[in-house]
Amino acid sequence: MTLSAAERRRYSRHLSLAEIGVAGQEKIKAARVLVIGAGGLGSPAALYLAAAGVGTLGLLDFDRLDESNLQRQVLYDAAGIGAPKAELARARLAALNPELRVVAHPTELCAANVRAIFADYDLVIDGSDRIATRYLVNDACVLYGKALISAAIHRFEGQAMTYVPQRAPCYRCLFPEPAEGLVPNCAEAGVLGVLPGVLGTIQATEAIKLIAGIGTPLLGRLLTYDALELRFHEFRFSRRRDCAVCGERPTISAPQDPPGFCTLEELQRVRCISASQLARLLESAERPIGLIDVREPAEFALGHLPRAVNIPLGRFEQPGVALPGALELVFVCRSGVRSLRACALARRAGGPEALQLEGGLLAWQAGVDPSLLL
Amino acid sequence: MACTVHVASPLREYTRGAASVHARGHTLEALLADLDRRYPGIRFRMVDEQQRIRRHIRIFVGTQETHDLRQAIAPRQPVHLICALSGG
Repeated sequence: MTLSAAERRRYSRHLSLAEIGVAGQEKIKAARVLVIGAGGLGSPAALYLAAAGVGTLGLLDFDRLDESNLQRQVLYDAAGIGAPKAELARARLAALNPELRVVAHPTELCAANVRAIFADYDLVIDGSDRIATRYLVNDACVLYGKALISAAIHRFEGQAMTYVPQRAPCYRCLFPEPAEGLVPNCAEAGVLGVLPGVLGTIQATEAIKLIAGIGTPLLGRLLTYDALELRFHEFRFSRRRDCAVCGERPTISAPQDPPGFCTLEELQRVRCISASQLARLLESAERPIGLIDVREPAEFALGHLPRAVNIPLGRFEQPGVALPGALELVFVCRSGVRSLRACALARRAGGPEALQLEGGLLAWQAGVDPSLLL
Repeated sequence: MACTVHVASPLREYTRGAASVHARGHTLEALLADLDRRYPGIRFRMVDEQQRIRRHIRIFVGTQETHDLRQAIAPRQPVHLICALSGG
C-alpha cells in the first residue's frame, strides 16, 4: 500500500525515523485496528492511531455520551452529550484524518456478534469498562488469531499488557477468571481524568510498534502505573498450561457470554435508591421492604443491614431463586455492582421489579452508619 | 522484620488509601494474616474459602510470582498485590 505525496508530507516525522520510514508507514496505512470502548482509554488510543495514519480504524461502543464522560474522554465535546459515542468518535476521527476508513460499531459486543465484527480487523485494543467484555475480547482474539493490547484503569492506577497469537500468554493466563462484582469500574470507583490518557497512549504505542514490527512489545509482561506515586512496575507472567483458552487442553472453543451475563440495556433499566433514601424508607415503615444482600456468606457474616436476607449473586444465575414476599425489594452488596446484576437477573426471571442500593453498603457506611463492618 | 506491601488500587479501601503498607511474616500466609489483623477484611478479597489465591489476584514476592501461601518471604522483600482492573 503506497503513500501519496500528501501522505508523505503528513507523516514526514514518521518517515524521518529510520525505525518506521516509508515501509513502516505503509504498514500503518494497511493496518486494520478495532478499538473496543470509545471511552477513557479508547479516546487517546483512537486519536493517536488516527493521527498516525492507521488505514482502517473501528470503534465499538454501545453507550451515549454523558456529561460525566467529558472529564477524561477527550474524543468528545459538550455539544455531543446524548449522542451515540461510536458515531461521535467516527466523525471526530474522520475530521482529524479524512484519508482513513473509520467504522462505527454502535453495538454491544457479545458472543453472537464478536466473530463477524473481529473478521475485519487484525489488531484489537481493549479499553472496555466491563470485566465480562474483557474476557470475551481475549477469548475471541486467541480463537481468531488477533493481536490484543489490553489496558484497564481504577482510580489512580492502570495496567496494560499485549498478546500476540503463538508468541505470548493471554489475558486469561494472567487472570484466569472474571471476578464480577469484586472489580469495580470507573462509574463505581471514580477515576483520575488524566489516568486513561497515559494508559490509552501506551496502547496506541504498542499498536504502532506491532504494526511496524519495531521495538519490544509488552508480551508476557504486565505493566502497572500508579499516578499518585508516579511509579511504573513490570511483572513477568507465563502462559498457563491449564489456561482455558490457550492452554494445552482448552475448554473454551468458541467465545461465550459468562453465566448470568446481562446486557447493558438490562442493567440500565434497573432503578437505584440512595443510602439516605433507603434509610428514610426503612425508618418510615410505611410499607414492608425486603432487603436482599447478594454478597457471599462470609462477607454477610462480617456485617449487614438489620433484617437483610442473604442470597448470593450466584443463586440468581440459576433458575428458581425464591424471593421474600415483600411489597418492595431492595438489593444491596458491597459497592453496587453485584446488586445491579442481581436486580437485572431477577427481573429477567420474571421476579418483581426491585431497587438497588446505589454505591452499595460502602455508601451506607459513608453516609448513614459508619459502624457497619464490611 | 517488616516487609513493604504494595497494594493494588481496589484493595486500598482497606488500607485507608495507602498505596504501600508494612506487614510481618516469614511466609506469605503469615504475612497476609498480619495484614488482615491491621486491615480487617483485606485477606478475604485475595484468598477464598478454600485457601486459594483468587483467580483475579496475582501476588508477587519480589519479582517472583507465587500461587503458594507457604511461600517463604525474606526480610525486606517487597510484596506486590496485583488485582485485575476493569475500568476503561
